[in-house]
Amino acid sequence: MSHSDTIPLHSSSQSDIDEIENLINASVQSGPATVQPARPPSPPRIPVSSSPFLQSNLPPPTTAAAKLPPLPSSSAPPSVLPATVPGPAPPPANSAGSNNFAASGFGPAPNTLTEPVWDTVKRDLSRIVSNLKLVVFPNPFREDPGKALRDWDLWGPFFFIVFLGLVLSWSASVKKSEVFAVAFALLAAGAVILTLNVLLLGGHIIFFQSLSLLGYCLFPLDVGALICMLQDNVILKIVVVCVTLAWSSWAAYPFMSSAVNPRRKALALYPVFLMYVSVGFLIIAID
Amino acid sequence: MDLNPPPEENYANPRTCLFHVLFKAASLAFYILSALFINNFVIIFVVTVLLAALDFWVVKNVSGRILVGLRWWNEINDLGESVWRYESLDQESLARMNKKDAWLFWWTLYLTAVLWVFLGIFSLIRFQADYCLIVGVCLTLSVANIIGFTKCRKDAKKQLQQFASQAIASRVSSTLQSAFTVV
Repeated sequence: MSHSDTIPLHSSSQSDIDEIENLINASVQSGPATVQPARPPSPPRIPVSSSPFLQSNLPPPTTAAAKLPPLPSSSAPPSVLPATVPGPAPPPANSAGSNNFAASGFGPAPNTLTEPVWDTVKRDLSRIVSNLKLVVFPNPFREDPGKALRDWDLWGPFFFIVFLGLVLSWSASVKKSEVFAVAFALLAAGAVILTLNVLLLGGHIIFFQSLSLLGYCLFPLDVGALICMLQDNVILKIVVVCVTLAWSSWAAYPFMSSAVNPRRKALALYPVFLMYVSVGFLIIAID
Repeated sequence: MDLNPPPEENYANPRTCLFHVLFKAASLAFYILSALFINNFVIIFVVTVLLAALDFWVVKNVSGRILVGLRWWNEINDLGESVWRYESLDQESLARMNKKDAWLFWWTLYLTAVLWVFLGIFSLIRFQADYCLIVGVCLTLSVANIIGFTKCRKDAKKQLQQFASQAIASRVSSTLQSAFTVV
């Protein structure tokens, strides 16, 4: 029924949500006539147009609003600029803010409209890290590989593709910009086409989830490319590329194979393998 | 939507407005000026696309929330289907939003997309496929935000109408009930 039933929430946010639900139930039972419109001046209310647990036709639960922390927007907006690695700008931490987040989807819990910016940044960063660990690293606790990357994001793939392009471009002695453009276009277009391939084979995947997965599976090849850039020995390069290629394909396999009909598994997996092989060749051949 | 900013009030969130415009302007400016000074395509690509991606994130997560009270995202539910979710503040808070902020938000959003289209036309004319790549990526990000927020605003209006009609219906029925109990 509600988000909180199916998605494991942070324990403090679960209790916050429980508290809010209790308050709403209490105010509903006391009837619309007794609800006072005495609201704190600044914070906007939370109820969400598409949330399952705060219905939009409830009378304003002002007691709930009064208990929620004050809107940080009067002091919130980021005053420090971005720049370092994984994308999102790290503004100064804002102490006032409910820490409710559900670990689902791009999945903020309903009251993230007023969360401080720092919370959003931290949430996105932790999602990138957890996606990476889930997809790429051997994880004996992975229940259903088809469900990997439920909360997809495109930041990880973006950085891995750009990083791979940069490394290939640095390794190249001539035509650096063409190498970068080709690598980027190949990987981006390749991911889109592979996803379309699975969809056309009658498989069931979500477009962005698959793009995200194929991007995250580039991480081993990134590592391989970096090693190859630093070492010039051809044999070593071949070995490293083979190992990382196998790792990438291994990471992509469960998701892709669970998305299609078993008789068509090879048809779906072969192009993925082909794309990673071609990237491997690019890595070896660049000098 | 009017062409002039509402004159009376000042910006309610000047720093957010600044950041909203900053990354867009930086990415466009870098792209345009770099062609004059920097000879290295890779740097132009990486910096422009990085600034565009940061702008996308800022608009989607920060300025959308703060300036117009809207938010959109995609979730995958337990059945494995993708669901687009829209979130908006309630009516009174929306009405209290600064008009000037909202005007700036929407106009800069549309303006950047139009500018990227122009730049794309220029690079097409010059047959520079790799610059078209940059423009393509930045345009995709801008258009994604435009579509997301427009849908979110329509959804908010729809929810509002539903809420209003339900509120009226419940008031009418409770009035009738109290009338009957009195009688």
